[in-house]
Amino acid sequence: MSGLAIDDAAWASAWRPRSPGDKVLISLGLVLSALLLPVWPGSVLVGLAAVGLAVGPARVPARTFGRAVRAPLAFIAIGALTTVVEVGGNGVGWAPDAAARAGSLVGHALAGSAAVLLLATTTPLSDLLPALQRLRVPAAVIEVASVTYRMLFVLLTSLRTIREAQTARMGYTSVRGSYRSSGALAAAVLTRSWDRARRLQDGLAGRGLETGLRVLPETLPASRRFEAASVLGLATLAAVSLVVA
Amino acid sequence: MHIAEGFLPPAHAVGWTIAAAPFVVHGARAVVKEVRENPESTLLLGAAGAFTFVLSAIKLPSVTGSSSHPTGTGLGAVLFRPPVMALLGTVVLLFQALLLAHGGLTTLGANAFSMAVVGPWAGYGAYSLTRRLGGGLLGGVFAGMAVADLATYATTALQLAWAHPDAESGFLGAAVKFLGVFAVTQVPLAIGEGLLGVLLFRVLTVNARPELERLGVLTPSPDDDAPAVSRDKAPEGDR
Repeated sequence: MSGLAIDDAAWASAWRPRSPGDKVLISLGLVLSALLLPVWPGSVLVGLAAVGLAVGPARVPARTFGRAVRAPLAFIAIGALTTVVEVGGNGVGWAPDAAARAGSLVGHALAGSAAVLLLATTTPLSDLLPALQRLRVPAAVIEVASVTYRMLFVLLTSLRTIREAQTARMGYTSVRGSYRSSGALAAAVLTRSWDRARRLQDGLAGRGLETGLRVLPETLPASRRFEAASVLGLATLAAVSLVVA
Repeated sequence: MHIAEGFLPPAHAVGWTIAAAPFVVHGARAVVKEVRENPESTLLLGAAGAFTFVLSAIKLPSVTGSSSHPTGTGLGAVLFRPPVMALLGTVVLLFQALLLAHGGLTTLGANAFSMAVVGPWAGYGAYSLTRRLGGGLLGGVFAGMAVADLATYATTALQLAWAHPDAESGFLGAAVKFLGVFAVTQVPLAIGEGLLGVLLFRVLTVNARPELERLGVLTPSPDDDAPAVSRDKAPEGDR
């Protein structure tokens, strides 16, 4: 248990041994389909495909997936509502095609979010980051991002432990106290992150760190069948959407 | 406040990615140069990224009853300078999209532009200006963090207004709508984040003065900005 439900799901997913490239292909294909195809039936099909693949073959727990899809929901609802309320000379009212516009926005956004989640819940970031090298992202940047990924769970644990201690000492009983505790909490986590970086550095220097943090990447072979099925599925989805729309 | 996946039309998603790219590339160059000169900074920069990510797990009580989390862009800009924040902020946004389902991949460019470019630069500008005008470290931190937050929120609202103009009153009407709707949570949050910054730096000037000096936030000579200068002279053997 790392403390982030999506990350836990990614490590436990049945698609975890698949090549990150294969999963990027299907997920980004779905993300782009959600963005570019007409909302009916394109977004609906993308949403169904993303959820179906995640809880079906990838065996992501439906609860985790459902909870994660809810994360952007508040923004989507407020944003869509704001878009379709009209402000004009005669006050505030609904835009003429309010329902259709709101439906289209929510459809695109939900389908897109589900497609991103398909990648997020099947591929740990530590698999994805080395793959960025193929996009010519400099190695130093990938290393910084990898350290970020590996350190954030430690800091998250520190943050939770300190907050628990503060709460037990009545640190969050008033607004004033909450601010003081939050400030101390942020400072403690920040100094711990520096301390940890320094100690890691000392340890690595003792082991002869000169150039980058070289690790042996796990080789996850690509599957031709999976890739062919992805391309075929995406093409079918696009064709059906364009014919029906 | 991150723009969710699929919320921007394709042309806007591409446009904002192109707009944010030079800043992020500039930040990446700065990081590559830094790492080549001091290999140990990989770990410090990674720690900074992790801290920025984790900061969003701190909840600030808000006047409106709900609680919101700080964006940390202003803090990052004060501590690590805006160019580095352009890269670290983008990495953190990617992590938030893939680990927390906040934001998205096609909207990463737009979110990076508001949160990793405009926010840090505006915040750093407010911080430097306040310090130059004699506002002191804590005054500068308050201004930097509050302004970074406000600038980020205003940019996001304008991005949304441009993408979804009002049917009758166009871009201006939509801008008023989005700025108004999100002001309810974002304006108290900006003030709250400024206060959090002040409290945080009050602790840091006592507990982590060497680190602040190394980052160039404090000058090595005793600084009368710090609220607890006398305590600061205590031995720092454990650091």
